[in-house]
Amino acid sequence: MKMFETAVESLKNNLADAIVEFRVPRPRKAYILLKSERHRDAISLLLKEIKDIELSTITGVDLGNEIELNYHMACEGVVTLKNRVSREKPVTQTITDILPGANLYEREVFDLLGVVFEGHPNLERLMLPERWPKGDYPLRKDWKLPADQPDFGSEGPVQAKSAEDTTGSIVNVVVGPQHPVLHEPERFSFKVDGETVVDVEPRLGYVHRGIEKAAERMMYFQDVFLVERICGICNAAHTTVFCQAVEDIGNIETPSRALYLRTIIHELNRVHSHLLLLGVGGHLLGFEALFQHVWRDREPVMDIVERITGNRLMSGFNTIGGVRRDIDPNTVEKTLKTVKAVRKRAVFYKNVFEEDATLRLRTEGVGVLSREDALKLCVVGPVLRGSGVASDVRKDDPYAAYEEIPFNVISYDDCDTWARLMVRAEEVLESLDIIEYALNHLPDGRLRVRVQRKIPEGEAVSRVEAPRGELIHYVKSDGTAYPYRVKVRAPTLANLLAFPGIIRGGYIADIPSVMGSLDPCFSCTDRMAFIDNGKGKKWHWSLDDVNNSKNSKVLI
Amino acid sequence: MVDLGLLKWARTKSPWLLHFNSGACNGCDIEVVALLTPRYDVERFGVKLEPSPRHADVLVVTGVVTKQCEARLKMIYEQMPSPKFVVAVGACACSGGIFQGCYNVSGRLDKIIPVDVYIPGCPPKPEAIVQGVAKLLAKLKG
Repeated sequence: MKMFETAVESLKNNLADAIVEFRVPRPRKAYILLKSERHRDAISLLLKEIKDIELSTITGVDLGNEIELNYHMACEGVVTLKNRVSREKPVTQTITDILPGANLYEREVFDLLGVVFEGHPNLERLMLPERWPKGDYPLRKDWKLPADQPDFGSEGPVQAKSAEDTTGSIVNVVVGPQHPVLHEPERFSFKVDGETVVDVEPRLGYVHRGIEKAAERMMYFQDVFLVERICGICNAAHTTVFCQAVEDIGNIETPSRALYLRTIIHELNRVHSHLLLLGVGGHLLGFEALFQHVWRDREPVMDIVERITGNRLMSGFNTIGGVRRDIDPNTVEKTLKTVKAVRKRAVFYKNVFEEDATLRLRTEGVGVLSREDALKLCVVGPVLRGSGVASDVRKDDPYAAYEEIPFNVISYDDCDTWARLMVRAEEVLESLDIIEYALNHLPDGRLRVRVQRKIPEGEAVSRVEAPRGELIHYVKSDGTAYPYRVKVRAPTLANLLAFPGIIRGGYIADIPSVMGSLDPCFSCTDRMAFIDNGKGKKWHWSLDDVNNSKNSKVLI
Repeated sequence: MVDLGLLKWARTKSPWLLHFNSGACNGCDIEVVALLTPRYDVERFGVKLEPSPRHADVLVVTGVVTKQCEARLKMIYEQMPSPKFVVAVGACACSGGIFQGCYNVSGRLDKIIPVDVYIPGCPPKPEAIVQGVAKLLAKLKG
């Protein structure tokens, strides 16, 4: 609590001349409108004054004649710094030189709203296809889907831009977007020298569907179902955070029974998500038996989720003003029994990760992300806690029922892949304790309050600790039943930026486990592109060509 | 000439699946992976998840098809040897679901490639996917 107040005070005292409007409508939430182009001063000041402060994301809002850039700085609360640029000539100064973690967020705003960040090291497309028409910015208010769809027949260049400067023994290996096991299709261009990874460049946007735009044409109540479908694994986190934001704008008091039920579902989500990742971690390290065992023991958790909410994954459990289903005493009893059984297994898996010599050999000292780098790159969740920063939204900025529930924040100082896996293994146990406590202390009362369709004018930032880390939603209302702007920043985008740094200098064989420890994952090369720089020639090999190649042993 | 009876027998006893996420939210994906794990265990039908399109008999697609994935999806389909079969898993792949009309979405799966089996649900329960696979096997038997 102290850090947030210090941040607000120091801004007030040192930058009084730059502040146009200052609002602290709720504890731990501040909205500060700055004079044009003063955002850099404010952010440098916060970075200097506050330890462990991070940039959550940058939200661009089209206000009609101006574009508002909201820099959400997170430190036990959220300080939102607003910088407005003209819509005709949207140019602003980058902050990547003072905070490298802003890199992907600035690219996202550039891609979807057309704001140019001067001084950005690599201002390229992030989400939209390569052949998306130039000058078409879907998140601008006047943008409409053109009747004649442009042809998207090609994905654009397969090589990374940086591949152009490969020399000598360095080979460019493109992985993805099709992977055999799970998670989103993403493409990575690795530059490798023998067995060593020299650099990597990710290309996102294969699952970009345009949810933020779609949310604007749906009503708040419908949007709950839309945001749930952003991610199938942490769906309860997305609905919780969206409902919280809308409740914040509308001044809606959620009944405490609903808050407890939200917490229970949120934690069940975390348990099954962490078990899923620990299993996949085993798979990526070549420990198939562990994968199968963990997933077997994950099924009882899914059964409980289904019993409480009505579905294994997408449940539509949360709604604005409360929850939609109650929990009956039989289910409480059954859940407590299952929690006990799952805990036994979770303790066993934690010991496996702690004691298995081979597993530790494969993960210890691999993919090291130092504490300083973690903060500079603004990573979140288990990745941040694996680097020794005990930051958890549930503790720092309590929401739902977390203020009343005792639990520990798990952090490890080892900074490597092993630490990140251990954080998750221990968090499963903490989550099981939270579920048990919440079920035993479930307050009586209503499930939901009646909420009008129209939400009053206003804006709100809301965040939760999703299984993969801090998840933040920004909602702006113009007083109608439809949101003016919904912005979502999922934790994986924040953590992805750390990947190039921690894999550089590592072995090819470590790519899957390091990637897995961040929690998106892949395990197969789909196609490779080669560049012979001496002759300036480019060619592609399919998987079969590679299999037939004399040199294939090194590459596969 | 190859004995078609033998091929058909081999295919129905051990269909190899290729899974591609063309824009899904991971919901269907983890249910597809759950199929391979002990409780559902589709390997008892000889089903195996296969990473390479060139070795696969059945393409399992989850999610609505995004514009950026469209070309890649067609490429994967073309790389598979004939006869090939396509299973659409989930509401998005079957109909576009909640993402119909989004700007970066090409549409439902059967607008892009031919589909043999539709498994609706958001996401379909693993039991439903098992049933879909069983129906496909019945279709393969002819």
